[in-house]
Amino acid sequence: MRNNILYGLGAAVILLLVRDINLIAGFPQEASQGAIFKIIFFHVPMAITAMLCSSVALIASVMFLITRNFKYDAVAVAVTEVGLAFLLGNLVTGSIWARIIWGVWWAWDVRLTSALVCWLLYAGYLMLRRAIEEPTQRAVFAACFSIFAFIDVPIVYLSIRLFRTQHPGPVFFTSNGSFPPDWTAAIFGPLGTLMALMMLATVLTVIRLSQEDSQRELDSLRRMAHAM
Amino acid sequence: MNFLSNSLLLAQVSADDVAREVARLQRNYEFLSYGLTAAWVILVVYVLMMVARERTLKREIANLKAMLEEKR
Repeated sequence: MRNNILYGLGAAVILLLVRDINLIAGFPQEASQGAIFKIIFFHVPMAITAMLCSSVALIASVMFLITRNFKYDAVAVAVTEVGLAFLLGNLVTGSIWARIIWGVWWAWDVRLTSALVCWLLYAGYLMLRRAIEEPTQRAVFAACFSIFAFIDVPIVYLSIRLFRTQHPGPVFFTSNGSFPPDWTAAIFGPLGTLMALMMLATVLTVIRLSQEDSQRELDSLRRMAHAM
Repeated sequence: MNFLSNSLLLAQVSADDVAREVARLQRNYEFLSYGLTAAWVILVVYVLMMVARERTLKREIANLKAMLEEKR
């Protein structure tokens, strides 16, 4: 039953993405940036999806520390890994956009640097988990590290509001933004790219969660084998 | 008036300018395709890594179960 729902969601994601790419291809080019501007339709949703993943990881980590229920630990590691993939996509698409608009692949401004630090922190979280063998100690250390790593997320979000950065300022839902409503709907609408990517992240997280269950089963089988 | 100003603008554009603009647009599309390809490649690679991990887990669980059955 769960597999059927997952396959259904996966098929819906593919259909949504095909629809969105078709829609975005039909939009006119932006006056000053040209076609490369269209990268925003995936760059921004990837960042938001990654940010939501890190928020879920924070909640799951706090819940684990309160309840000591390993299901929360599994949720934290699953969403962190999925969020890391989306954040990498965000960084790479941003870098390719920067090459055309700024003439450089990378600039050490606050938004870009804090996003890179965020990626490195969550990559460190996954490395920390691999380094600790004992499951309870691993989950406690990882939960504490996840809470610490989340400190960077509001910095990434607020950097373009608080600092003068090379990265463009906010263009969505702001009084000084000039994004046309149909373009905004292509990202934030009910059938937009953000919805598609969030559904994709959900599917990947559920699959990753089932792998965590399998990993726990494997760990208990190993313990039994050692005891015999 | 509009027609006149457009005509004057066009008169100032040289063949080099047109060629440069065409090259810029071409480069824009090229990098847009790189960006979209990179985004999907990252996600596809991640999915493939998950598939590989799933297979490894299933194989290890089956092997351990078989070994435990043998010992019993």
